[in-house]
This record gives sequence, structure tokens and C-alpha cells, in this order.
Amino acid sequence: MEAATARLGRRKARKRKSYGSEERRLAALLLSPAMIVIALVAAYPIGYAVWLSLTEYSVRVPGKWRFAGFDNYTKAFGSTEFWDAVKNTFIFTGLSVTLELVIGLGMALAMHAAFKGRGLLRTVVLVPWAVLTVVSAITWRTLFEPNLGLAPTVLGKLGIAENVVWLGQSGYAMAVMVLADVWKTAPFMALLLLAGLQVIPDDVYDAAKVDGATAWQRFRRITLPLLVPAILVALIFRTLDALRIFDLPFVLTGGTNGTSTLSLIAQQELTTNNLIGYGSALSVLTFVIVMAVSFIYIRTVGGNIRSLAEDN
Amino acid sequence: MLKIPRVLAALAAMLLFAVAGCGSDDDDSGGASSAEKATQAKASGNVTWCIGKDTTGAFGTVVDNFNKANPNAKVKLLELPEDAVEQRRLQIQRLRAKSDECDVLGMDVIWTAEYAAQGWLKDVSDYISQNGDKFIKSTVDTTDFEGKNWGVPFNSNAGFIYYRTDEVDKAPSTWEDLYKQAQQGNGVVYQGFRYEGLTVNFLELLYSAGGSIVSDDGKQATADSQEVKDVLKFMADGIKNGAAPKAVTTYKEEESRRAFESGNATFMRNWPYAYALGKDSKIGDKFDIATFPGFAGQEGAGVLGGYNLGISAYSKNPEGSLAFIEFATEPDQQKIMATEASLPPTVSATYDDPAVKKAMPFAAELKTAIEQAQPRPVSPVYPQISEAVYNNVYDALQGKSSPDEAASNMNDQIQQALETF
Repeated sequence: MEAATARLGRRKARKRKSYGSEERRLAALLLSPAMIVIALVAAYPIGYAVWLSLTEYSVRVPGKWRFAGFDNYTKAFGSTEFWDAVKNTFIFTGLSVTLELVIGLGMALAMHAAFKGRGLLRTVVLVPWAVLTVVSAITWRTLFEPNLGLAPTVLGKLGIAENVVWLGQSGYAMAVMVLADVWKTAPFMALLLLAGLQVIPDDVYDAAKVDGATAWQRFRRITLPLLVPAILVALIFRTLDALRIFDLPFVLTGGTNGTSTLSLIAQQELTTNNLIGYGSALSVLTFVIVMAVSFIYIRTVGGNIRSLAEDN
Repeated sequence: MLKIPRVLAALAAMLLFAVAGCGSDDDDSGGASSAEKATQAKASGNVTWCIGKDTTGAFGTVVDNFNKANPNAKVKLLELPEDAVEQRRLQIQRLRAKSDECDVLGMDVIWTAEYAAQGWLKDVSDYISQNGDKFIKSTVDTTDFEGKNWGVPFNSNAGFIYYRTDEVDKAPSTWEDLYKQAQQGNGVVYQGFRYEGLTVNFLELLYSAGGSIVSDDGKQATADSQEVKDVLKFMADGIKNGAAPKAVTTYKEEESRRAFESGNATFMRNWPYAYALGKDSKIGDKFDIATFPGFAGQEGAGVLGGYNLGISAYSKNPEGSLAFIEFATEPDQQKIMATEASLPPTVSATYDDPAVKKAMPFAAELKTAIEQAQPRPVSPVYPQISEAVYNNVYDALQGKSSPDEAASNMNDQIQQALETF
């Protein structure tokens, strides 16, 4: 649709005799539908959430509300629940994204090698990523069910973590959550990195081989540096997703034992407790944190990508 | 290319919402004309009944029966998800939008006060004052908020003690005995996960001990009491000394049932639904059920569950809705709910029906349990009260706080909840 309007715009523009400010106005006019759509679907809800976070709606009298200023935010900053969630969210993000990067890179290198059935493998590897998170979370929950689940039974037989209630103990619960996330999204990471690997020209490797570079040297000196842009893009994707994690703790642990996350407590206050103002404040805080992290990424990493692209 | 699945998923989701939203468009068409209405004393027009998933088909049967008996009316069943939390979320979403899609709402007994406070329900006090006698009294109490009735009891529920007949001779008469025997045997399992079920499990003990968490006028938290501390200590000690496995802190109803059925527990606290399923399991002929034992020298007490039927304030057909509710709570239809869906009836007479006794061999105990059961605090901020309860009970069970600390935190948080704007 955008292409069609653009064509239309060019035709209209050609008819005009004078350019400059007139043309700029036309551009604004042509952009306006897209701007209106963005305003409706993004700016309005975000602005509305910010407004709601400054209010308090009565749970007793229908429709009654009052302006609360920053009370909801003060309440959040003063609660251990909020800071626990911040801490857990960052621990989860750090652990899961690091593991996904390492495992995803390994998978990408393996899939990059030429062998029979490579196309099939690439498809199969994506299956965990295609499974709905809620569904895979229920599977993991069942796997780690005390006494009856496969994981505690097998591990117990091997003498590892005997008598541990995985989803009922701090540390262990986070471990299961990270494991479930890595299982699901490492393939996604692998695919992004594979795309990066495929644009590295083969003759670079050939030249290195002629110069007598070992496999490790080729990986360290050629593959990794040239893969940096792909790695950074993949990292941004995964980090922002992980910071907003909701479904895994919701299904696996209900936020117990050091697994409550920002999205989870915002949902709890909004839909379960019906505290519209406070819940919105928590959502806005989550939004701000995610924004801040992506800003830092783009500042430090975005420039990196650009300079790398220029070097190439 | 990688983004395609996401886009598709988003599109599919949007389509689904669009379809769901269109579902009620034809509600107002095809109703009986006003002239016909005048001659028909009975129900007319369209009514949509929004209640949790019809897993057994029993809701559908009741709807068909009604439509056959009332040719001028048409009731449509709108199934909400199986999970109660999701049912409530979807109902509130519609009510906040003042949607007239749902006429009759199937509400968990703990939502009734909240909905009533928000002005989402029609007052049905007149109907209750004329017909209230046929219901078990405790179930009618759950429809009361600030002196008026906001719903009609549809099905009830009360917990039971399940025990292994091959491991103990008879059901213990006190909780203290039960825990002692559990410690010597294979343990007791219950719903110790941090959610509504834990609040119920805790209150069953607390009510038996004669304690409470909110004052009768609903204005004051009463959880910083000796009874609360005793019960918390009792439950925490149970986990510490092995009467209950550590794993109960991850158990909801289904996990407890699986643990009991796989022979991993001597006792289980669960709802009546686990009876029929248990009879089909490998321990089918090795267990029996009993009403709750007493605690601290007092009588046993349960906590009332179940659903009420309310009429949405935004319904365009309140008369037709009430006619349907009246029909659904007739003994014949209640019998269908009991025999087909194992949902405990709210109408006293239904328990004496031979067909019900056959489908629920424990019908007599069930009726007693429901009669003795007490409601959870009736309050528009019930979700927050319950959260204060289950969070702190959970911390006590995990040993994260002492019973005394947990009781005092619980009290503070309940008080805070009661003072919500």
C-alpha cells in the first residue's frame, strides 16, 4: 500500500511546477496516513498508559477516579516486590542471552558446514522456536514436576540434585526458566547468526588457508570479527525480548522463588488486582527500562555496526 | 523471512478478536415481537450465557432443554476458557466496555462482591427473597453484598479429605492427628502453590481453629491473631517434619491429584472432582473421602467454592435472563449438572435424588460439607486480600518468614488492601 501511495505521490509531484516548500508540504501530506496510523496504534496507547499511571481508579465506586500525581511511582520504588522483579528480570536476561549466544553460535557454525540434509536440519532446528512459549512452558513444568517428572527422576537416579523441588526452590527455579528459554530461542539466535555467516565470502578463508592459518585462527581472526554485526543485531532482539519475559514465569512458577519479573507483576496488579493506576505505572517503568537498554545498545552498538559496514 | 511467523500470528490473533467481537451482532434480531411477548408469560428474546468451558457438555444440555421449553426465547452459550482467572479477565474486559454481549454471567463466588461494587450486576434480591429457601443457605450467603443479592447460586463446592483405606483405618478426626499419621505414612498433599488455592487451603484450617482474616463489617484486618500464627506454624512445621512433602509448594489441584493417584501420599485435600477420576486410577478401590477434621479442639470447617449466575447490568434482556437462571436452578437441571458434570448442586432437594446419589456416592457428605462451609471474605478488593494471604502463607511454608512475621505482614497487607481507594 505504501508503494502505491508513493507512486501516486510521484505522479502528483510531476504535475507541479514549483518545488521546495510546496514539495515538502506534499511529502508531509503523503506521510500523514502512516503518521496517523502510528499515532493511533503506538503513541495513543503509550500516552494513555502514562496518563493512567498518574491516576487512581476506585475499586469500590464505578467510574470514580482521582489524579494521583507520582504516588503510583513512589509506591513502586518503595516496594520490595518491584526491586525483586527488576533484579530477577536482569539476572534472567543476562543468563539466558549469554547462553543463547554461545549455543546459537555453535549451532550456526554447525549448520553452516556443507553436508547432506543441511536444508532439513535448518528447518528442524527451528521447531522449538515455533512452539508457543506457553505450550513449551507447560511441557517444562511437567518435566520438572516433583516425583513424577522425567527430569527429577533421571537426575535423582544419577545422584544429582536429589530431593530438590526444582520449581519450588530459589536458584533452581531460575535455572529451569533459563533452560526453557535457551531451549526455545537458541535456534532463533542460530538462524540470525547463520545469515551473518553466509555473507562472509569464501575466498577470505581460502586466502587464510594458503597463508597457513589454523582452523582456530580462521575462526578467531576472520569469522568472529565479520560476524559482529549479526551478533549485535541478534543480541538486541533477544535482550529486548528477555527483558519483557512474561509467559515462562507465569506458567512455570507464578513468580515464586525468585522468578517474578517486571511484566509479571504489572499484569498481576492490572488484571488480577484491578489497580489500573499502579499497574500502568509498573508497565510504564518496564517500558522505560526496555527503552533505556535499547538506547544504550543502539548508542554503543549501532555506531559499531555502521563503522563496520563502512569498513567493509 | 524470519519475521513472517510473527506477522502471521499477529494477523491470526486480530482475526480471532474480530470474529469474537462479531459473535453477538445478531443478538437483537429474531426476538419475539412485543405483541407476542404480552401474550407469553414466560421467557422471550435472546439471552447469551457467558460461563467457563463446557467440558462435559452439561451446560449445553441445560441450554437445549430451556430452548425446547421456551419457544419464544433463545439462549446461546458463550464458553469462556477453562481457567477461572481467564474467565474473570474476559468478563471484566466486556463489562468495562459496557458490552451487552453477555446477559447471564457465570461468576466464581469470590467475584460477586467485586462485580456488584463496580455496578456491573443487576440486583436480584426480589428473586432471592421469594425463592431463596430452596437453596442451601451458605450458598445464598455468597450472593450477598451490602445487604442485597447480586446473583443466584448455580453450583457449589467444598473440599474433602481423601485418604488411603489400605494405609489408615479411618479418617482422622483432627488435623493434628491427620498430620501425625501423614508423617508416619506417606504424607499429606494439598494445594500449596502460591495462588488462590493456597488461600482456600489456609482458610480451611483457620476457620476450623475459629480464626478470621477480616472483621465481620469488612473494614478491619484481623490476621495478626494467635489463631493465624498457630495455623501458619502448624502448616510450616508440617513441611519441616515431613508430614507434607516439600513439593506441595508447587502443587495445584491437578499436581496433588496426580501425586495421590500415583500412590505418593496417604492423604490429600482436594475438591469433589477428584473422586470420579480417582476411582478410575490404579488406587481406585483403595481410597475413601471424609469431611474436614477439627482443629485445636474445634469443629472442622470448609471454605465455600462454586459459581453464581448474575445478570449483567448491560443486558438488553434482563427478564429473559432471569427466566433462564430460574430454569437452570430448577431441581431437574441441577440434577443434570450433578450427574453429567459432577458439579455440586446448590438446591438442597437435588441431593436426595437417586440419580444424583448414584453419580455421587458421597452426596450426603457433600451436602453436609457445603452446609458447614464458610464463604471467603466478601469484598470488592478480595483479589488483593487473597494475594496478601497466599503470599505470606507461601513465605511461611518456604521458611522465608517465621509464622509470627508472616501473620503480621499478612495483617498489614490486608489492611492496606481494605483501604484501597
